[in-house]
Amino acid sequence: MATDSARLTRLRTALTASTSIAPLVVFRVMFGALMAASIIRFALNGWIAQQYIEPTFHFTYYGFGWVQPLGAVGMYALFAVMGVATLGVMLGLFYRTSAAVFFLTFTYVELIDVTNYLNHYYFVSIVGFLMIWVPAHRQFSLDVLRNPALRVAEVPRWTIDIFKLQLAMVYVFAGLAKLNPDWLFEAMPLRLWLPAKTHIPIIGPLLAEPITAYLFSWAGALYDLFIVFFLLYARTRVLAYAAVVIFHVATAVLFPIGMFPYIMIGSTLIYFSPAFHERVLNAFRRLRPSSVSAATSGGTWRPSLWAGRLLAGLMVAHFALQLFLPVRFSLYPDSLFWTEQGYRFSWRVMLMEKAGYAVFHVHDPDTGRSWEASNYEHLTPYQEKQMATQPDLILQFAHHLEDYYQAQGVADPVITAESYVTLNGRRSQPYLDGTVDLTEVEPGFAPKTWILPFNDEPGRRLVGAP
Amino acid sequence: MRFSLRTSSLLLLLLVPLVLVSCDSGGGVDPEPEPPEEPGFDRMAMLANMGNNIVLPAYVNLQASIAALEEATDAFVASPNMGTLGSAQDALKAARMAWQDANLFQFGPAESVTLRAALNTYPVDDDRVEDNVSSGNYALGSISDGAAGGLPTLGYLLHSASMADVVALYSTDADAEGRRAYLQDNVDFIKGNVDTVVQQWQASGGNYIGTFLDEDRAGTDVGSALGMVINALSLHYERFLRDGKIGIPAGVRSAGIPRPNTTEALYGGYSAELARANVEAVERLFLGVGLDGTDGIGLDEQLEALEATDLTNDIKTSLTNIKAATGTVSDPLSADIEADRERAVSVFTTMQQFVVLFKTDMTSVLGVSITYQDVDGD
Repeated sequence: MATDSARLTRLRTALTASTSIAPLVVFRVMFGALMAASIIRFALNGWIAQQYIEPTFHFTYYGFGWVQPLGAVGMYALFAVMGVATLGVMLGLFYRTSAAVFFLTFTYVELIDVTNYLNHYYFVSIVGFLMIWVPAHRQFSLDVLRNPALRVAEVPRWTIDIFKLQLAMVYVFAGLAKLNPDWLFEAMPLRLWLPAKTHIPIIGPLLAEPITAYLFSWAGALYDLFIVFFLLYARTRVLAYAAVVIFHVATAVLFPIGMFPYIMIGSTLIYFSPAFHERVLNAFRRLRPSSVSAATSGGTWRPSLWAGRLLAGLMVAHFALQLFLPVRFSLYPDSLFWTEQGYRFSWRVMLMEKAGYAVFHVHDPDTGRSWEASNYEHLTPYQEKQMATQPDLILQFAHHLEDYYQAQGVADPVITAESYVTLNGRRSQPYLDGTVDLTEVEPGFAPKTWILPFNDEPGRRLVGAP
Repeated sequence: MRFSLRTSSLLLLLLVPLVLVSCDSGGGVDPEPEPPEEPGFDRMAMLANMGNNIVLPAYVNLQASIAALEEATDAFVASPNMGTLGSAQDALKAARMAWQDANLFQFGPAESVTLRAALNTYPVDDDRVEDNVSSGNYALGSISDGAAGGLPTLGYLLHSASMADVVALYSTDADAEGRRAYLQDNVDFIKGNVDTVVQQWQASGGNYIGTFLDEDRAGTDVGSALGMVINALSLHYERFLRDGKIGIPAGVRSAGIPRPNTTEALYGGYSAELARANVEAVERLFLGVGLDGTDGIGLDEQLEALEATDLTNDIKTSLTNIKAATGTVSDPLSADIEADRERAVSVFTTMQQFVVLFKTDMTSVLGVSITYQDVDGD
């Protein structure tokens, strides 16, 4: 008991000890700038229309059915507000409001349609959330320029450590997720993806070799598992950061993963020492001599007693959830990759080449007629592709079809799904129990008993069969 | 900065695989009994075969058949009689057959002019056609005249009644002049679209073949040549072959109620023949068989190079089954469906197998993503 409480006290002291605000400030500017760039890129690619205006149906998250797109004008306005908020974060102008607005608008957009889910969007949402609670604007910001009293030189360590911890969880969970037989022993799915890039210069031809896929798989797993520790350790930090850059640039070249590599390259800078970040800030300050002021002027930011307690509670709850979400899959039966129950929000990146095809059979008991729904009349090709491998989305679409046919006068349609899925180079196999009337199945977190068992016999491999 | 031996070796352990990759020249220990051939090379050769021996000849052939159609319809208009009508009908059928070889490639130039919508929108809005004939007020290619132009409309114009009655419609009927003009305008409209696409594809014209075979497009990502071919084929097969030619007339998409009037060649009465020709075009594209019948490098060789021989065989078997199935329905397809819808439904079901193999297993193995749009992944 005594030691426990002594340990807790030590932990508390360590987390609330003062440290330079510089890493937090650099992180704020970097994050705001990258988010601004991401939003501009997203808009220029035409994705606002493609993903949020053109589709007539959206797959919602359980409990978030009320999150709906806002129409063309509304969506462009929402992205504009989000863009302004990223600038507010970057420049430290009305910082907390900007951070909160960014988090809320970004998360709202991500909640509109599950088929657009990407782990890196989830990461951005989380960082956006954490940013709200830290005083990242109390130096090198327009807020300080407006009100110099805001300026501080130091902050409690936890305001920086939460980002390090969050990044560590991303990497380590991503690494642990790679410790599976497909990744390690079959080099799947890299073995399918790398040959797609054989036409790129220099390394192209090597990408066709299975040995390359194995090397990349193992290097990737080791990288994810251990990089954080090398970043934390001062003596290995520079080399580790070089590895960060090489790794993420390589993924940017090889895979269509958008801004994510740059977000990680920028974010991991936070592991560097306060002195490093002071130098970065000073370099920026020199660009504008008038604003030069000693980095050390100003006091230490401290939350009030109650605010501190609330923040502590919030952070404990947040990280407890972050620990739970990636392991919740173990509460479900059968292969995680197959059922995807507990797959999202778990830092499982690049683990699966999964494709499927789902046909919805509709039967009207009143007339005895049977037919098939045309998925393409309701879904974009991308939505259809994403749906076909995720049972919760298949269920959601079946319920949408039920509403659709009821509106057309079919009182009680029976809707069953005939579906096939291929996973990591295995021959496609039936995915769902085709006899189950999905209109009778309620959505929720209960195990989906209508998913057929995963058949993982070695003979099912299409590529690299033994 | 100094490193202890221990930390350095740990780091080395971390970085070695990455470094090795960039030094490896294929001399590493290969766990595979037989390394695949270089798929990069195969892919370029396959694309060249597809572009030069399948796509381009299909378009050129279509262009020639449309030119012949123009000649035949001009002759019919100049002198409407049973003989010239028969020739025009034959030329129309030949053009519609040629279209079956070219309709798989709705990307690039064909996509920019929306060739499929221009040439092959059906069912025909025959009321609209009649209005246009008598009013002379129309704009082929516009949305309002979307179902009043193209090859199916020509089918209506040349087959709407018995041969003698059709001849009368173009000679003695009150609207004969308007009908003759409408027929010729329609042929011109089709010809204009086809000529544009062919010109755009040819090396001597817009040189889309050069774009198609550009090194930068030799990958499998969105916008790559293979990505475009597979996405276009996949979309065409599902919506316009399986559904358009068989499923929709059979009532698969209309609550089980057959729609025999939605067959492709409703008036000409050779819809099943067109469907069979289209299946064969799909098969030839998969096998890499050129329009002249020469077997070149196709998707089958590509899959074999990736060691997915079983999948290749399954797809070939599936195509054979589909060809056999389309033989069980007879022309006129509309009458066949009215007599027994189940035959066409069963063709549809057989056709479905191929979608699973092609759209999931094959694209997965090839690393081609079916999205038709560029998105980030993770």
